[in-house]
Amino acid sequence: MRKAIFLLVTLGVTCFVRNSLGQEKFIDVRQEMANKLTAVKTAAVKNDWTSALESFAGAKEIWRSEVKPMITEGVKTNEQFQEYFKRLAEIEENLNSLAQILEGKNTEGVETKANAVIWSISHHPRGFDLPKPRYSVWDWVFALGIGLGFCIFAIVFGLYLRKSYYRRYKKIKIMN
Amino acid sequence: MNADFFIIVIYLALMFGAGIFFSRNIKNTADYFLAARSAPWFWIMGAVWATNIGFLHGYLAHGGAAYEWGLIQANFEWFQGPFGYVLTGIFFIAFYWRAGIYTVPHFLEKRYGTGIRTIYSLAWLIIFLVTIAAELYLGGMFLKNLLHIPFWPTVFVLTGVVGTYTLLGGLGAAIMMEFVQFVIMMLGTMPLLFILLHLVGGFGGIKDILISQWGVSAQYFTVLPDIHHPYGPGPWIILGQCMVVTIGWCAGHQSMVQRNLGARSLYDSKLGYVVAAIPKTLGAFLYVVPMIAAPIIFARYGIFVEKADAAYGKLILNLLPTGMLGLFIAGLLSAGLSSIDAVLNSSSTMLIKDIYEKFLAKGKSDHHYFIAGRIATFAVIVASLLLVPVVLKVPLIMWLEQTLLAMALGPFMGVLVLAIFWRRANTPGSLVGFITGAVFAVTLQQGFGVKVFFQISWWSFVVTLLVTIFVSLLTKPPKKEKVEGITWESDFESMVGVIAEERAETKAMRVTEIAPRKITRPPWYLNLKYWATAILLVQVLLLFFFG
Repeated sequence: MRKAIFLLVTLGVTCFVRNSLGQEKFIDVRQEMANKLTAVKTAAVKNDWTSALESFAGAKEIWRSEVKPMITEGVKTNEQFQEYFKRLAEIEENLNSLAQILEGKNTEGVETKANAVIWSISHHPRGFDLPKPRYSVWDWVFALGIGLGFCIFAIVFGLYLRKSYYRRYKKIKIMN
Repeated sequence: MNADFFIIVIYLALMFGAGIFFSRNIKNTADYFLAARSAPWFWIMGAVWATNIGFLHGYLAHGGAAYEWGLIQANFEWFQGPFGYVLTGIFFIAFYWRAGIYTVPHFLEKRYGTGIRTIYSLAWLIIFLVTIAAELYLGGMFLKNLLHIPFWPTVFVLTGVVGTYTLLGGLGAAIMMEFVQFVIMMLGTMPLLFILLHLVGGFGGIKDILISQWGVSAQYFTVLPDIHHPYGPGPWIILGQCMVVTIGWCAGHQSMVQRNLGARSLYDSKLGYVVAAIPKTLGAFLYVVPMIAAPIIFARYGIFVEKADAAYGKLILNLLPTGMLGLFIAGLLSAGLSSIDAVLNSSSTMLIKDIYEKFLAKGKSDHHYFIAGRIATFAVIVASLLLVPVVLKVPLIMWLEQTLLAMALGPFMGVLVLAIFWRRANTPGSLVGFITGAVFAVTLQQGFGVKVFFQISWWSFVVTLLVTIFVSLLTKPPKKEKVEGITWESDFESMVGVIAEERAETKAMRVTEIAPRKITRPPWYLNLKYWATAILLVQVLLLFFFG
């Protein structure tokens, strides 16, 4: 029995740690890609196109070999990757546009496209994707019932307490 | 970055020095655990708010949740103000004062008996340990990410600063430090709101960009969303949050209550609690509204954000200039330190008063318990530090902590409401009710997979209420002397303040037996009713404008 508990605990901890390490790696590689894209922006502003292209190649390599495979594999087992999976096409499109802009050595548009990629590999608020509010009549009945019910209860209960208090104790006069 | 680092070092050194200074003249347990009952209402106001707002319940975790779910997070500020602070200040605090207690579990014992006191103390001690560890973890990670300072040395420095003045000075030093930190927090962190609103074109600008241009769900801007919302369905916010969680938090959280017990009079205590609703309301503008604007800034400037909890740090790091960033971090550290010192002090109070004095060392001298209090503070510091690596591995700290609270607050609110408003509630009823409510909460969460913690807390509250009433009616009513003086019926006029204090001194005496004497009303600007009414009106306006 003790051995079974020990094995179960060890297994649980191992799975938990492995899962945490996987998540940390996913953060690290995206951060690295974002840093490379930021370096692209900085170099483009200085018209240092060699450096910009180098950094871009680095970012694209991280995307190809690390980030994208983690998303496509991760989405099969973890719902957390779903948001990034949905944006795969968007990221690819923006990376291609950025490649074209950099090849043309055009400063305009570098920042916009690089920012768009960084934002796409970032975590987006889950509240963004909620459906439109679906208030039904019952929502209003429920809400008004609770709100008005509470107010009526508070007034009635307050008056009862006040009455019961003065039944026990004489009202005192406060002198100024 | 060097200038920022320098500002933070000066800030921590000043906090350490001020803490040591405020720690003088602590001689007995009343000084140590209740600040010699000497704090005026404005200290209480600052201390209560600073206690409430930390890394965990405030800037970082609540800010992260605001980034994730939107304006719904403002509920924690806008509903807790009128429901938690005002109602607790007006209705509950007087009973704690009159009972002459040190801890909330102590009150439960006076009304119900030892069993419920022990269960409640142990539950909160666990929550407190997790809270301190989580605050230290968040603080360490925050400084590590922002200033690239190693994690563990940061955690040890933070613990050293806050631990020293809390260990030496007890509640008095903690309250004074919290007031100072309240001012630094307000002044240091408010500029972010104005900078952000300027960048995105005001609140209307945020709405315009997110809803019209990005097509974001309107629920991101709703304070009371529909019942299908995965984070906080509107009806459960009203039932679970407003009526159970916020009141239970303000009336049942030892740290919050203990600050009020340290006031120089009952009136100061009540007024401090009620007026604290104002900074509480403003809290939404310190970290909820800025975090709703944050996605626009992140997308516009290409700032990578890996997860919601990191969003607040990324925002200030990329937006604030050197120097201002240091001041801002000092404000944030104030939030963290004030929460840690509060929970640290309360943990040691509960350990000594509810466990040590009750079960392990009865009838010792006051000096003995005073020294034991300091040892307990040290022990809590060590235990929390040991917990930090565990908390570090928990990905959803906020969720875990809130769920634990939801499981504890519902049953507590049930027995507390009946303790004060129903003289017939008795010991067996409360004990069976409390345990059933807690078990029911766990069953709902684990067995039925209910994830909305407001829902869990509401139903556990209702179950506790019903079971306590049922069992109380089946068993003997409590003795008259057990309920006299600490139930509502005998305390209606306590809002004036003086009567309650006088009655606490002469327990057996009826109000009518007190010799006629001049009772002065407070000046109009300190009138509790005016403040409470004004705060309620502001909340209604906020809900009307933003809801």
